[in-house]
Amino acid sequence: MNEQISALLDDEIALEDAAHLISAVLKSKDAAQVWSHYHLIGDTMRGNAVLSQHFKQNLMQKIEIEPTVLSPNAALVNQVAKVKDANRLPTSWAIAASFAAVMVIGFMLLNQETNRGNELAPTEVAQADINKDAAADDGIPAEYLNAHQASAPSASAYYIQTVSY
Amino acid sequence: MVFISQRLIAGLFAIAGLLIILLASVSAQANADDDMWQVLQKAAVAAHALSYQGIFYYQAGTQSKPIQITHMFNGQGEFARNVVLDNTPREVFSQGGDLTIFNPKNENVVIEKRHGQNMFPAILPTNLDLIKQSYSLRLGEPDRVAGRPAQMLFLDSKDSLRYSYRFWVDVQYGLLLKSVMLNSSNEIIESIVFNQLGLMDTVDLDWFQPKIDSKKNYVMEDEVVIIADNGVPVGWSLKGLPSGFRKVDQMIRMVHGKSLPVTHLVFSDGLASVSLFIEPLSKSIKPRTGHKSVGGTSFYSSVSNSYQITVVGEVPEATVAQVANAVVFKK
Repeated sequence: MNEQISALLDDEIALEDAAHLISAVLKSKDAAQVWSHYHLIGDTMRGNAVLSQHFKQNLMQKIEIEPTVLSPNAALVNQVAKVKDANRLPTSWAIAASFAAVMVIGFMLLNQETNRGNELAPTEVAQADINKDAAADDGIPAEYLNAHQASAPSASAYYIQTVSY
Repeated sequence: MVFISQRLIAGLFAIAGLLIILLASVSAQANADDDMWQVLQKAAVAAHALSYQGIFYYQAGTQSKPIQITHMFNGQGEFARNVVLDNTPREVFSQGGDLTIFNPKNENVVIEKRHGQNMFPAILPTNLDLIKQSYSLRLGEPDRVAGRPAQMLFLDSKDSLRYSYRFWVDVQYGLLLKSVMLNSSNEIIESIVFNQLGLMDTVDLDWFQPKIDSKKNYVMEDEVVIIADNGVPVGWSLKGLPSGFRKVDQMIRMVHGKSLPVTHLVFSDGLASVSLFIEPLSKSIKPRTGHKSVGGTSFYSSVSNSYQITVVGEVPEATVAQVANAVVFKK
């Protein structure tokens, strides 16, 4: 099935012979996913040739250069856009907030459990936290290392898994 | 009288003869130097222009990874696939300087886009002028790597601002077979060495596609917003950069966890790269000062004129410190 989808995308199966395949893709959730994955992979592999490396940079720069229209209506539109932006932000915050909540609950549970086990636990937990901070401080900050390697990749950036957030 | 003049003439001849020998040896020395750089130049070109496949080992610190490489030049373009042969098979595809990395992470395969043209064995730039300023080359012994005869070359750093290298070049193909990076105490920081290598006699591109795992989700990495920077610094300038390092890139980017955009400059001496980040301090960010060195990578951060300055690069600690101190704020 997957091979047939791949063949269809590669133009190895004629469209008129693929009616059953397309209906299968439409019916099966798994097949639909394979279909979209293959498209994504194909687009990124081919995408190299389609868009120039600085396409996004150039586009962002062009947008920056665009003159701002000074009319009350334009200002209103901008305001609406800003409100929309403000509305958009919380989605990422929501994830961060829920992650933070999980962390807090996890920490509370951990505290409770260690408390039950040992009277001296709170100081131990605090100690462990200090150690953890020190350990996190040990390496090179990942955010800068990743930014450096994205713009000036070295051998380690190619072959060794980079830190994920 | 006649006798004396004869001796004089003989003496003059002897001096002239010596001079000729001396000049010849000087030019022979220059020729030998040129020949050595030619070997390196050939290695730089061969890595891009030949079609080959093999397996090499990347080693740094405690990390050691076998990597399978397939590289092809079909007359029009350059295609390469690098597969890290471990339990999380990372696949790196390059087409010219454009890279697409398939990076398995748990139930996902993250697709990352990068730009770079210095993947082994193509670690040398095809223009060696910048390297000649900061490194000197001397001949080593003939050796064997991956069962193939190789010529060893020392690329020594002229100062303590960068690491030194040893290269083993295939006598027949001209390809780089082995590269070792060393610090000033001659300790190996990183080594990359072919275990097996052969030339390819095909222009078929069948292999230039990822192995797709249908059980995984394929997702694009979150793209980082990067704005090209025209390079006119506002409020600061650079003075006293480490010798041999040139600015090769400048941009404004978002850095993970930072709310404000960061100015990012990249410097290179032809082999080693250093990144300089300059950002205004804000209340939400704790200022950071200090330095670290992990493997061959050094890090330095300082605060100056309410700006956070951060430098990262595959260079000794003194070099990142010098780059950070080269940022001068206008009064």
